[in-house]
This record gives sequence, C-alpha cells and structure tokens, in this order.
Amino acid sequence: MLKLFLIGIKDLKLIFRDRAALTFMLLAPFLLTIGMGFVTGRFSGNSSGLSNIPVVIVNLDKEQLGNALADVFSSEELADLMEPTSSPDPKAARRFIDDDKAAAAIIIPAGFTRSIIPAEGATSPALPGTPWHRPPGQVCARGKCAPGASVSQNNVQSEPVKIEVYANPTRPTSAGVVKAIVDEFISRVEEGRTSGMTSIVQLMQAGLLNPQDAQSETRKLFENIQQSESTAITLKTDKEGAEAVQFDILAYMAPGMALLFLMYTVSYGGRSILAERSQGTLPRLLVSPTSTSEVLGGKVLGIFLTGVAQVGILILASSVFFGVKWGDTLGLAILILAAVFGATGWGMLITALARTPAQIGSIGSALMLIFGIMGGSFINLDQMPAYVRTLSKITPNAWGLDGFTTLALGGRLPNLMQPITALLIMGAVLFGIAVVLFNRNGIMQK
Amino acid sequence: MKKIFAIAWKDAIVRFGSSSELLFFIILPIVFTFLLAGGTPSGDEDPRIPLSVVDEAKTSISQQVIDQLENSTAVRPELTTREEAQSQFDKRRAEVVLIIPAGIDRAELQSGSAQMELLQQPNNINATVAERAVLTAIRRVSSSISAAQNAVKQRESIQPFASDEEKQIYFESSLETAQSIQKDAPERVTVVTGNTQDQVDYDPRANSSAGQLITWVFIPLFGISALFAYERQQGTLRRLLTTPSNKATFLLGTISGQVAMALVQMLLLVGFGILVMKLNWGREPLALFVILLTSALAAAAFGTTMGTFIKTEGQANGLSIMFGMVFALMGGCWYPMELFPSTIQNIVKILPTTWAMQGMLDLVLRGGGLQDILPEAGVLLGFAVIFFSVGVWRFRYE
Repeated sequence: MLKLFLIGIKDLKLIFRDRAALTFMLLAPFLLTIGMGFVTGRFSGNSSGLSNIPVVIVNLDKEQLGNALADVFSSEELADLMEPTSSPDPKAARRFIDDDKAAAAIIIPAGFTRSIIPAEGATSPALPGTPWHRPPGQVCARGKCAPGASVSQNNVQSEPVKIEVYANPTRPTSAGVVKAIVDEFISRVEEGRTSGMTSIVQLMQAGLLNPQDAQSETRKLFENIQQSESTAITLKTDKEGAEAVQFDILAYMAPGMALLFLMYTVSYGGRSILAERSQGTLPRLLVSPTSTSEVLGGKVLGIFLTGVAQVGILILASSVFFGVKWGDTLGLAILILAAVFGATGWGMLITALARTPAQIGSIGSALMLIFGIMGGSFINLDQMPAYVRTLSKITPNAWGLDGFTTLALGGRLPNLMQPITALLIMGAVLFGIAVVLFNRNGIMQK
Repeated sequence: MKKIFAIAWKDAIVRFGSSSELLFFIILPIVFTFLLAGGTPSGDEDPRIPLSVVDEAKTSISQQVIDQLENSTAVRPELTTREEAQSQFDKRRAEVVLIIPAGIDRAELQSGSAQMELLQQPNNINATVAERAVLTAIRRVSSSISAAQNAVKQRESIQPFASDEEKQIYFESSLETAQSIQKDAPERVTVVTGNTQDQVDYDPRANSSAGQLITWVFIPLFGISALFAYERQQGTLRRLLTTPSNKATFLLGTISGQVAMALVQMLLLVGFGILVMKLNWGREPLALFVILLTSALAAAAFGTTMGTFIKTEGQANGLSIMFGMVFALMGGCWYPMELFPSTIQNIVKILPTTWAMQGMLDLVLRGGGLQDILPEAGVLLGFAVIFFSVGVWRFRYE
C-alpha cells in the first residue's frame, strides 16, 4: 500500500515540476475562464439576468387607472425588477427607446380611465365595441337590452383608447416582461369591468335596479376596479426556503474549463505509463519486489491525485480571484473526487487502447475537445440539440457541470447524488475495461 | 526553390505521419463549426422565461390556462410531469412551476374551490414575473365565472333567491352576460416595435464558420514553434549548418510549408461552409484569398517568434494550444466581440485573431469586398512583418 502511495506521489511531483504541463493544466483554463467572464458580462456586472429593467412611463391620462398603472411600476414589489422614469413627452420617450436607453416606453393616453370608468354625469360607461356602445336609449348584452338606460353621447368614442407599449427590439426579454406587467394590470381592470357590468345588466334585467340609479351603482362598482381579485380560481403561491440564490455564471464557466483541461491531465498521466514502458523504467519497477497491481494502482493514483490537485486549485482560484461561492464544502469536495475519478477512467481506457505515448497525446487532446463541446464546457448544454444532450451523458464534463451548477444554485450533498453516482459508475466501468485491455495487451508485463 | 519545397514536403510528411492528424486538420474543426453554429443563440430563440407547467387536470379549463400562457410575452410554458418539475425545482433548475391539479373544471370554478399551485424560488425576479403572467392567464380564463359569481352575490345582497334553482338560473344568465361582455371587450394595449439598431452583428453560422476556421488553423501555425523546438532538441538544425542550406532557406521552407497546409485546411473549411452551411464565402474570391493568406502569414509569423523563445517541444505544444484558444476567445472567434466591454474590445486589437475575424466577417456576414477587408489585411500583414522580423532576428540553430 505504501509503495502504491509512493508511486502516486512520485508521479504527482513529476507533473508539477513540468512547467509546460502546468501551463496547460492551470494557466490555460484560468485565462479562458477570465475570457469567459468578460464575454458573459460577469466582470462588468451584466450577467445577473433580469433586474432593474429601465422603462419610461408617459402618463397622459393622469386619472385613476393611468396613475394606478404608473404606481405598479414603482411599487415595492417590483423595485428590484423595474427602474421606471417618467416623461411628459411620448416622442421623447420613443426616441429614448430608439437610442437603446431603455427596454420599453409605456404611453398611457389621455382619456384612458374615462374609456372604462364612466365620468360624473354619464349614465353608463362608454365602451366602443361593447354592449354599452349602443344608440342612445339602450344598453344591451347578448341580445337582451335593459330598457331605459342610455349612453351619454359625450362619452362615446370612435376608437378604443389603447395603452402603447413601445418596445425595444434588441431587449426582447425585458420588453416582454414590461408588456406582461401591463397585461396583468389590464386583466385586473378588465375582470373588474366585466364583473361590474354583468352585475348591473343582470340587476336591471331583473328589475332590481332603476336606470336612474345605474350611474351611481356603476361608479361604486368601478371604484376599485384595478384591485379586482379572481374568485373562481385561487393561486396558492409557495416560495420555498428563505435564502435567495443568485446564479453566478462563473460557477458554470470556471468548472467547465477545469473539466475540459482535466481530460488533458488524465491522458497526460496515461502517457507516462507508456513512456515509462518505452524508456524501460516500467519493466524495472516490475522486477522490483513490487506487484503489478501496486505499480498500476500507483500510476492511477498519481493521475487521480494530479487531477484532484488541478481541479481543486482551479476551483479555489475561482473563489479567491472571482468570488464564486460554492456553498456546501463537503459536497464540493466529493464532487471533485468523483469527477476526477470518472475522468481518470477515461484516461486509463485511452492508455489501454493506445500503443505509443504520441497516440495517447493525440487521442487525449481530441477527446478533451470533443468532451469539452459535448459536455457543455464551451456552451451550455441546454442550447445544444437533444442528441448532443443525450450523448453528453458519457462525458465526465456533463455530469461534473451538472453537479457544480447544482452547488452554485445552493444545492447540497444530497442533491448531488445523481451526478456523483454517475461519475463513480463511469469511472468503475472504464477502469474495469481498461484492466481487461491492459492484461490482454500485456502492457503491465515484465 | 527545390530545397524550400523539399523542406516543406518533409514537414508535411512529419505532420501527417499519424492518421490522427486528420482529426485536428479537418474532422474536429467541422464538428466544432457544426455544433457551435447550432448551439450558440441566434437571436431567434424564444426569449421568454421558462415556466414548468404540470397539467394533471387535462380539462378544457386547464388547456385554456395553458393557451393563455402561450400568448404571454413574459413566460414560455413547458409541459412536464409533477415528479420532473419537483426534481428540477428541488435542484433549483426550475425557477417557477405551475401545478394545475386534477379536478379543475367548470363545476369546481363555479363552487369557488378551484386552486392552482405556483412553486417559486425565493426572492427570484423571474419567478415574480411568472406569477404575474400566471395571474393574468387565470383571470382571462375565469373572469366570466368570477363575474357571474359576483353578480349572484350582488343580487343576493339586494334580494335573496327563493330557491337554489333560481340561484342557478341567475348564475347561468349572468355567466352568459359576462361571456358576451368579455367577448366584445376591445384590445386595450398595443405593442409598437421601436427602431433600435442592434449593436451585435451576429449570425451563428457565419460566426461559427469563420471563428472555428481561425481557431483550428491558428493553433497549428502557432505550433511552428514546436517544430523548431523539436528540430533543435533532436539536433537536426545543427546538422543543417553542415549542408549548403542557409538560414533563410530553412525558415522559408518550414514556414511556407505550414502556410500552404493552412491554406488547404482553410479552403476545406470554407468549402464546408459553402456546401453544408450555405454561407456565401465565395462571392469575392480575391478578397477571400487575401484575408486567408494574410491571416495565415500573421499566425505563422507569431509561431516563428514563439519558436525562438521556447526551449522544449512540450512547452511549445502547450503554449501553442493555450495561445490559440485564448486568442480565439478574446478575438471574438467563439462569441461576438460586441459582448466584451469596450475597454477589452480596444485591448484585443493587439491580437491577430481579432483582425482575421473582422476581415472574414466583413466578407461572409456583412457582404463586403476587397476594399472592405484591406484595412484588416493590412494590419495582419503588419503583424506578419513584425513577428517574422523578430523571429528571423532571434533564430538560433542551437
């Protein structure tokens, strides 16, 4: 056991004395992580997703509903999401969007409130296109008319008064969110309006409401129109836990690069087995009172320890230099061990299949790049076609990144069981195949 | 001339001595070009926030809610099972999950006992946005029933119903009225798309084709340094001293051979771009040749200079790949340059990859011609002159 350990430590020392290998194992992934940090806006503070969406509000209505809509955007609930500014001039607001200074402008036209809530002195709301928009003297719904109720001609308008959402096409997500908030407000108003009008029409048809009283009743029902709550379906919201987690894009990029170059490390380690064989040091080791399994185990341990050191250093660097928070330390440690174990399995398989150290170098580099792109080190797997996502399951990169992402999102060891198990199975199966091939090819013979 | 050709031929034989070189020469570049073209966002993707929806009711009401969500500008409903949704939510991969339980139908809505569940990650802005979108969808589906329920309440507060039957008739009548009112409701919001100019000039196929071409051609050209280091380590460079070949012949033979191989590789990748990715690489053949040649010369010159600083082949191999990848990333070959902060965009102008990428995008993305790529070609030629000068000046046989 001691010999096995000594061989492993010796190989670890050899690799860490090789400046060329260190450049590739540590410096390259570190520099690429910095580059990715710039691309994703991590270093310029633009990577945190939706927040502080700049929106311009032009409230020309200046009445109940216009003011209520403006208040929605400056409410406490949306304080983190929206950054509203107001403008009196629709043209200036549109120009602001054209200059890419905000995600959208909301232009609430004059008369918006009055197009829904009847003004003082009107007998009913004037809503073009609705049953209320009838010739004077009649209010109708579904073919039935309430006698006597009349529509004030002053309130009748030829076109519905519409709120304009002037959207910035280069910020589709933010503009979509702004539109959705306006939609939600309008849906509340519309629900209140439908509810109020239905009650009035029904009461008048039942003879329980005089047309003379309709105006005051309508105004009463419309008073809190925008605070309508659906009674038919309730929505039970469940905000689990208390701690908010802001995903750090570098928590994906840094391990992505570490896992990419881990594949180089494990193939480099495998190359040392064949190099020792061709240089004659391996047969010399095997004639010493050291068993074949101890020698092979020591070599594998050396590769494993190197991989652990490499990934560990890179993950530590991501915390120290970029402030990435990994949360559960135990989960992180076990995940690193499992990821390196899975990758080492691949390294041993390549070693068992190759005939020369140069072949291992070529196959190892190719596999590093193929696993890198298939496993999500370059591009998030969610953006890849389904067949690539399926194929990615054979890479330690995909499982490792799955685990690191879970950790970065606040997950703990129990949440990591799937990737850890997959990586351990991967490593064990590949080791098994490699040992069979080693024996068949006589690589570890004296 | 014969010697130069012989040296170049020898290098080609050494390089392609192993069939695995073909992996790096053509197979992997094509795989990367293809996958990155499909895997990088094109701007046409659905930008809405994903909302996992579990529909256990499978009724017309639940379908109406899902249809309303489909029309939302903020969320994109993705149907899934409760187990999958819960698992994704537990792993925090799903920010928000809407569960429509079994039994949600008109009768349940009428009785007022219908309830849907929304799981939200805590203090999550996307989840807050999704909640509003879900509320909108629910209101649109249920508002006529809510209105009818409210009308019944209003009526009851004025004059109680004589029987349950009368109440039900009043409810049905109110529902019909409410549906009629709802149907005739006008659109109250209009969306006008602004005239904002997109700052990011990007097409995933063109960017991937040009970017991967540069990445996979520049790395072996930087690898000229490894070639020098190998020959120096093996002592073959010293042996050249005993032959009637001078330094210029050796350098010209080595570099021209590598540049020629790079041009062949580039043409193969351009051919892939034209035939498979349907890119318009061949519109201006002269301009294309100029930008490919100057790019290859700049990269080869950089490799030559590297070769005079690096001692071992191992170091050279590692540094070639590292510089190749870092230069490609920072030069905008993997992701659009416009994503970088403006300071970084200015700094990376010192990299040949930046100019090569801009030149190639001028041709394949922006439809430019020879005139348009001359500034980039000029800068690349300037790189080539500077680095070749340093390389030749510092070149040593031992």
